[in-house]
Amino acid sequence: MSNPVLIIGAGVAGMTAAVELADSGIKTILVERQETVGGNALDLYKAFPTDDCFYCFEGNRWRPGIRKCFYRSALTDQPNISLRMNSEIGDISGAPDQFSVKLKVGPGYVNPKKCTMCGLCLEKSEAFRLLSPQCQPQAVVYDPTKADDGAKQAEEECPTKAINLGAQPTEETVQVSDIVIATGYHEMQPVNVDEYNYGKHPNIITQLELAKIIDPIGESGGVPVRPSDGKPAKRVMMVQCVGSRDENYYPYCSKICCIFALKHANILTQERDDVKVSVVYMDIRTYDRYERYYRESRNTGVEFVRGRVSLIEPRKDDTLDITVYDSLLDKYLKFSVDLFVLSSALEPSEGTDKLIETLGIKSTSGFVGMVDPASENEVVVGDHIYACGAALGPAEVPESVTQARAVVSKILQSRK
Amino acid sequence: MVISKMPVYNLYMGCSVPANYPNYEAATFKIAKAYDMQLEYMEGVGCCGSPNLRAIDYMGWLTVNARTLAIAEKNGHDIVTPCNGCFASLKDAYHFLKHDADYRKKVNAILKKESLEFKGTITPRHFVEALYTDIGIEEIKKKVTKPLDGVGIAIHYGCHLLRPVDVTEFRPEYLDELVQATGASVVEYPLWKQCCGATVLPVDENVAIRLARDKIKSMKESGAEFITVVCPACGNQLDLQQLGLKESYGEEYNLPVLLYPQILGLALGMDEEEVGLSMNRVPADPILDHLTG
Amino acid sequence: MAETEESTGPPATLIDPIEMSKLDTKFREEIHSMPNGEELSACFACSTCTAACPIANIWKYKPHQLIRMILLGMRDEVLSSDEIWLCLTCFQCQERCPQKVRVTDIFFDCKNLAAEEGKVPPNIVGLGKELLEKGQLYTVTADWEREDMGLEPDVPGLSVDGLRNILKETRTSKLVDGDK
Repeated sequence: MSNPVLIIGAGVAGMTAAVELADSGIKTILVERQETVGGNALDLYKAFPTDDCFYCFEGNRWRPGIRKCFYRSALTDQPNISLRMNSEIGDISGAPDQFSVKLKVGPGYVNPKKCTMCGLCLEKSEAFRLLSPQCQPQAVVYDPTKADDGAKQAEEECPTKAINLGAQPTEETVQVSDIVIATGYHEMQPVNVDEYNYGKHPNIITQLELAKIIDPIGESGGVPVRPSDGKPAKRVMMVQCVGSRDENYYPYCSKICCIFALKHANILTQERDDVKVSVVYMDIRTYDRYERYYRESRNTGVEFVRGRVSLIEPRKDDTLDITVYDSLLDKYLKFSVDLFVLSSALEPSEGTDKLIETLGIKSTSGFVGMVDPASENEVVVGDHIYACGAALGPAEVPESVTQARAVVSKILQSRK
Repeated sequence: MVISKMPVYNLYMGCSVPANYPNYEAATFKIAKAYDMQLEYMEGVGCCGSPNLRAIDYMGWLTVNARTLAIAEKNGHDIVTPCNGCFASLKDAYHFLKHDADYRKKVNAILKKESLEFKGTITPRHFVEALYTDIGIEEIKKKVTKPLDGVGIAIHYGCHLLRPVDVTEFRPEYLDELVQATGASVVEYPLWKQCCGATVLPVDENVAIRLARDKIKSMKESGAEFITVVCPACGNQLDLQQLGLKESYGEEYNLPVLLYPQILGLALGMDEEEVGLSMNRVPADPILDHLTG
Repeated sequence: MAETEESTGPPATLIDPIEMSKLDTKFREEIHSMPNGEELSACFACSTCTAACPIANIWKYKPHQLIRMILLGMRDEVLSSDEIWLCLTCFQCQERCPQKVRVTDIFFDCKNLAAEEGKVPPNIVGLGKELLEKGQLYTVTADWEREDMGLEPDVPGLSVDGLRNILKETRTSKLVDGDK
C-alpha cells in the first residue's frame, strides 16, 4: 500500500486537496501551523465570487449537511484525513515517493476531542480564546504567554478535563509519497511604506483587519468602527497597491486586492448604515467576472480617485485629513476620514523560503515556482511535489479550489 | 385592377429649410412625387427649438416637440422631415417620452390646453429613412435614367442623424446605399463621423470654421468630388464655410455641397433648375458637365 | 505621528487641495435624477469620451474630467464652465462610452441647471429671445426664392403661436426677461 500524501497548510487549497484525496481513498496527513483550519479565508466573512462564507461554496453544496459546514464535518468525519494542528514541518529527507518528513507538533494544551466550548475557561482567564465560532477543531486555544492563576483554575475545573497546561511539544516522523504545498499567503504588514503611517495611528488599518471589523461575528457586530475609540466609522478611504507593483516591495500585482477592497466597499455602502467610501487607485484590476464588483460599487456611490496619497494629517478627534493627488483631474483633493484602509501586498507566508530551499524547488518572487513556467501544469512544482492556492502566488478562493483539484487529479493519475 | 396605395406622411419642414433652402424643399417634393410618396405640410406647427432650446429649457423644448408629435398623431401619419435638427428634436423627445411616464404626464398636462395628447402612436422619421425603408433601394434604382456613374461623393451624414443610435435608429449604410443607387460611388474618408461645426457657431465661430475645414479637407484628400448632406444646417456650414476658408486659411476646396434629393433628382433626369442647383454656393458645374458630357 | 489642529492659515505646503467637505455631494444625485442622467455613476474615467471628442483638445476641462467633477460634487465649477456650452452635441462621446454613460445628454442636463441659475452665454439667450418673439429661429425673407422653386411664398401650415405660448410659461421666458 502506498504511503499517505502530506499536505502542508489547511487553508482553502489544502483542505480541498485533503478532502478530495481522502474521498478517493487516499490517506492524507494535513498539517496546519495555526490552531484552527481555514487560513486567511476564515477571516473573510464573505468570500467572492458567491459572497458566501467560504465554507459553503457552490461547488461543495452537493454534500449532505453542507449548511452545517462541509469542511468541518469532512475534516472530522473523513477517516482518511489525519489532521495535525499546531504543527510545523522540520527536516525532509528521502526520495520522491518515499519522503521522510519530520513534524514538530506543538503542545496540545487543549484536547479538541474533549473540549465542548462551554466557555468556563474563557471566564477564568484571558489566556484562553475562542478564535471563531467556526473554528476547526472545535475547541478553545491557550496562549502560554498569558498564563495566570485563572488558567490553572480552569484546568482544574474544566468539566471534560480537556485542559493540560503541562503539555509539551512533540516530534514525529512520517513517511509520505507526495508533498502538497498549500501554505497560502500572508498580508504584508505595511510598516515600511512610511507614507501611509501604518502602525502609527490606530485608524490606519489593512484590508484583512477591516474584514475582521465588519464581520458580523466580530466585536462590533459588523458595524464599521474606528479602532481608536470604537465609534462608528462614517467615512472610509481605501488605497490600492500598497507594496504591490512596487519594485521597492513586491514587483507583482497581488491580483485579488482590488476585488476584496471593492467587496468591502460594497458591504460598507450597501449593508451598513450611512458609510461613505472612497477608493484611491492606480488601476482597478477586477479581472474576469469580478468586474461586477467594480460596476456595483460605482453604482452604489463608492467614490474612486485615480491617483496617490500626498499627505496624511491626523486630527485630535482621531479623524485623518488625507490629501490625494487626482491624476485624472490634475488636482489635489482633501478628504477627512475615520478609517484609512491599506490594500496591502500579499506576500508568501512565513517559512515559504525555507520550504523551497529544503525541497530544492523553484521560487517565483518568493512564492513556490512551477517546474516549467511555460507549462500548463502550474501545480507541478517538483517530482512528487505539488502546490496549490496562494502558495503559488496570490489567488482567489475558486482558483485555489481548482488548483487543489488539479493536484488531486495529478496524484490519482500517478497512482493508477 | 391593382389599387396602389400611396403612403401619406406628415411633412414637418421646420424653419431652416423653408427660409434658407427652398431648393431642398422643392427637390424633396419632386423626389416624393417621383416615388408616389404623399407629403402633406403639417398644420399649426413651427420651429423645433433646436439643440439650443433643449440646452436652456428642456421642458419647453420637450413640450414643443411633443406638441408636434401629438398633432401628427391626430392625422395618423408618420412625420417625415428633411432636417437633421428637427429629426433629432422630434426623435429624441419621442424616445424620451415613450420611456418616461412622469415627463409624459407633465407634458400632456400642458398640451391639454390645446386638447392635444402625446401617446407615441406615430414615429418621427427623416425623409431619407422613409425613402430607404418605405420605397427601397431597388425601386429607387428603377427610376434612375441618368446615373452618376463614376462620380465620387463624400457623405456628411450629420451627427444628429446618426447619434445616439438607440434614439435615431439610423444606420449610415442607409445613406450609403441611397447615394450608390444614383450610380455614384461613396468616398470613404477618415473624418466621416466628425461634426460640421454648425451647432457651435453661436458660441465660438473659430472652432466652427476649424471643424468644417478639417472635415472638408479630409473629404478632398480622400478623392471626393462632391459632398452630399441631408440637413440644412450641415449643408449651409459645409457650403458657406468653403467661401470663408479662402479668406481665413487661404485654402480653396471647390467641393460642391448637394442635398441628397438634388443628387437623386439629377439621376432621375431632372434638370439643374428643377433641383435648384443655382442656389448652392460652391458652383455645382462639374456635376452638370459630367451629366451632359 | 504628530497631530495637528484644524489649520486656519495658508496651507503648510504648496499643495492647495480642494476641500472635499465643501463640495456639493448632492450634485451627483441631482444629475442622476435628470433626463438620461441615470448611468452617470457607471463612469470609470477611462476617458473614451475625451478621445472621441473632436474639440476637447482646446478645453480646460476635458469631458471625462467634467463627469468626474460632477461625481465629486464640483457643482459651481461645472455649471460655470464654458465647456458645457462649447459642446458640439455631436454625441460621439456618448456613443462610444463603454459604460453607457449618456455624456452628451448629461451636458444638456448641466446646461439646463446652469440656465436655471441664469448662467447662459448671451448669444444663446439671444436665440431664446428669437424663439420667444418670432416663434422660430429662421424666418422666410427671400420669398421670391421660394416662388422660383415653385413653392408657395409662405410656408404652408406654419404657425409660430404654439411654440411661443409654450415658451412663455417655461424657463425661456424667465431667461429672456432676466436678460432685460
